[in-house]
Amino acid sequence: MFTTGFKLFFGLFGAFVLAALAYGYSTGGDGVGPLSLGWKGGVGDHIGYTLLVALAAVSLTISVVLVSYRDADADAQARLRQLAEVPADSAVTASVWPVLASFGVGAAVLGLVLHPLVFTLGLALVALSLIEWTMDAWADSATGDAAANRELRNRIMAPIEIPVIGALAIGVVVLAASRIFLNVSQLQAVAAAGVVSSLILAGAWLYVARPGQGRRLVRVLGAVAALGLLVGGVLAAVAGERDFEHHHGDDHHEEHQESSSEPTGGAGSG
Amino acid sequence: MTLTEPATADPLADPDAGAAAASPAPSADSATSTPDSAAQVLAQRIVTSDGAAVGRLFVAVSLLWGLFAAVLAALVAFGRSDAVEPAELFSGLNAYFRMWTLYRMSLLLLVLLPLLLGVAMVVVPRQVGASNLAFPRAALASFWSWLIGSVIMVVSVLAGGGWGALDGVTRNEGDAMALTLLGTAVVIVALLMGAVSLATTIIALRGPDVRLLDVPPFAWSMLVASAAWLFTLPIAVANIVVIYADLRGRPAVAFGRAEGPDIWLQLDWLLEQPAVYLMAVPLLGVVAEVVRGVLGAGVGRPEVPAVIVGLFGLLAVGGWSQDYFTAPQDLRDGLVYVAFGLAAVVPVAALAGFVGLQVAQSRRSVPQLLDLRIIGAAAALALLAAATLAGALRVVEPFDLLESAATWAVFHGVAAAALLGAFVALVHWSDELFGAPVSQRAAAASVALVGAGGAALLLSDLLSGFIADEPDLMALALDGKVFLNVVNFVGAGLLLAGVAVATAGVAQATRAGTGTAEASAVAQPAAEQIAAP
Repeated sequence: MFTTGFKLFFGLFGAFVLAALAYGYSTGGDGVGPLSLGWKGGVGDHIGYTLLVALAAVSLTISVVLVSYRDADADAQARLRQLAEVPADSAVTASVWPVLASFGVGAAVLGLVLHPLVFTLGLALVALSLIEWTMDAWADSATGDAAANRELRNRIMAPIEIPVIGALAIGVVVLAASRIFLNVSQLQAVAAAGVVSSLILAGAWLYVARPGQGRRLVRVLGAVAALGLLVGGVLAAVAGERDFEHHHGDDHHEEHQESSSEPTGGAGSG
Repeated sequence: MTLTEPATADPLADPDAGAAAASPAPSADSATSTPDSAAQVLAQRIVTSDGAAVGRLFVAVSLLWGLFAAVLAALVAFGRSDAVEPAELFSGLNAYFRMWTLYRMSLLLLVLLPLLLGVAMVVVPRQVGASNLAFPRAALASFWSWLIGSVIMVVSVLAGGGWGALDGVTRNEGDAMALTLLGTAVVIVALLMGAVSLATTIIALRGPDVRLLDVPPFAWSMLVASAAWLFTLPIAVANIVVIYADLRGRPAVAFGRAEGPDIWLQLDWLLEQPAVYLMAVPLLGVVAEVVRGVLGAGVGRPEVPAVIVGLFGLLAVGGWSQDYFTAPQDLRDGLVYVAFGLAAVVPVAALAGFVGLQVAQSRRSVPQLLDLRIIGAAAALALLAAATLAGALRVVEPFDLLESAATWAVFHGVAAAALLGAFVALVHWSDELFGAPVSQRAAAASVALVGAGGAALLLSDLLSGFIADEPDLMALALDGKVFLNVVNFVGAGLLLAGVAVATAGVAQATRAGTGTAEASAVAQPAAEQIAAP
């Protein structure tokens, strides 16, 4: 009934609880303080007690997760699926997350010296990769069937991945496009937006009108456009925004107005 | 009840995996999809879950870094040869010092350790009866982290960073230097991750009837080496963290500043005795294995090489010799340091005696013993013996060699021996590694060139050490008489030629192996079609 992983972490939980109690009472805890997490009475040395209680909580959580998913326990798998034989472990599938985690580490290292934003992005990539990597590892050992494992993994992760990736994609598009529009002149920005909108419309029409050829073409065009947008956004961000003149109104709020729209007719630097 | 071991899900990365991996677990990818384009094949190789494929990546990239390190070696030796002023060769003495240190660190962290690790990732799982490396994804992460860390390390040194500066670190150099330190730390941690995968494979994924002492000598030597690396290299990472914090934060020790201790002197213990022997531990396993393979099993007691390798691994654990907490002079004049220096000769001599006994007992004729692998293994062992002897001389106080070029005689001897051992391993296991044998001509040439180059480097540095007087940091780089410096340059040139020939041989074998795999992949469906009706 209880998986091997559960036994290990539940045992750790018990050991940490006992250690926390012993530590609490031996460092000045009184009454039922260490037993009631400090609700009645003192817990002794706060730092050590808190650390041990936190470790106990983490161990308990992991043990509950492990027993819930029947993790890495062939007997439990067999009983759960009402099989006569224990299923074999499935193969370790190829995964891109170790590679991305490595790139995240590289970015974090570069960011430590170059820019805090790069460091944060690197750490975020490492965290994301570790989560995905953990889920891949869990799914690989869920059943003996690789296709079922993939489905199981997607059932848990897709509701998280799709909105997050969608939001990230929208954010990147908005950020990159805004950098480009703010870099070129007002007229060029309007023209570029018009051309891009037309291309999107043409692509959508092609996608619907010629499902076979159109989809492949749209996929290629989409990849090229995404790359162009990303590169253009980075270049525009490096080059900076076009010149704006700042006007201070009576309410002391800063307003942005382009020099080209000045009544005096001053041209924007573009 | 036993769980079946995880098998590879990446059949394309390992052409002969089907024959070797006898795992009952099915391959997930092979069951569901077959890559149909070059891009898909490339993508599978990049994200492979096959430990052997990761090992091959390590071998290929470390050989390329080997070419880079050998070019640096030749340039640095040329700067020492009086034909040109070192400062002119690299736009200043600081730049020369950067290249001098980069060459040494590259040889250790970008060439020798990953090359041996890569060979082991391919060979060891099969030797111990495992169908794949333990933690294959961690092994993949170790390769990519190592690659990214190594690029950061090298580029930052070329951009003006490095491990210290002769005249004190300036503000401009600080950032690049911080990147060098972080890149070095990433490289070390990545290598350790690979070593953990390998050690776990040997300990936990052995076949049911294979005792730990029954594993072949190379697998055993890699287990010992992994343990020695794990006991030593984290100390270097800790050193780096301290230096980095001091360099980037409010300086407490002022590492690298004109008034503070030099950064390089905090890390050079990695390349000195006893830690320098870390890269040679697998060499002993290669020698024992190759001799056993050529002469045939059953000659000599199998426990003997295991004990010898274990002793050498113990003597290579060198984290205690870093001199942050102890004055270098006190540490190196101490009894433990001298004892380690002298004792290192014993296991090498013991293995030489054991191998000699095996050869004598085998009753083979001389022409039968003239196998390239035997010659290469013997040359590597001789170089290592010479290096440990030089190391023993170095720690004997009356010779006064501790702070002299003799330090680099030991380094060059051990490094050349390890490189030679790695080349012998590439030849010995070429079918497993590349799917085709390495050309005998290329193998013979690389063994001869690296052996001769290593000997020239070792001798010139050792003799330079004997005639040196009051060397400082730069003198260690430029020490020596004109003739010896020319010999040193010739040695570095031979080393470069040897690495280049070996790389070409490996590339040729890989092409031949890929061609064979493709041909059999084409032939198989055809045969199935014939059999189908």
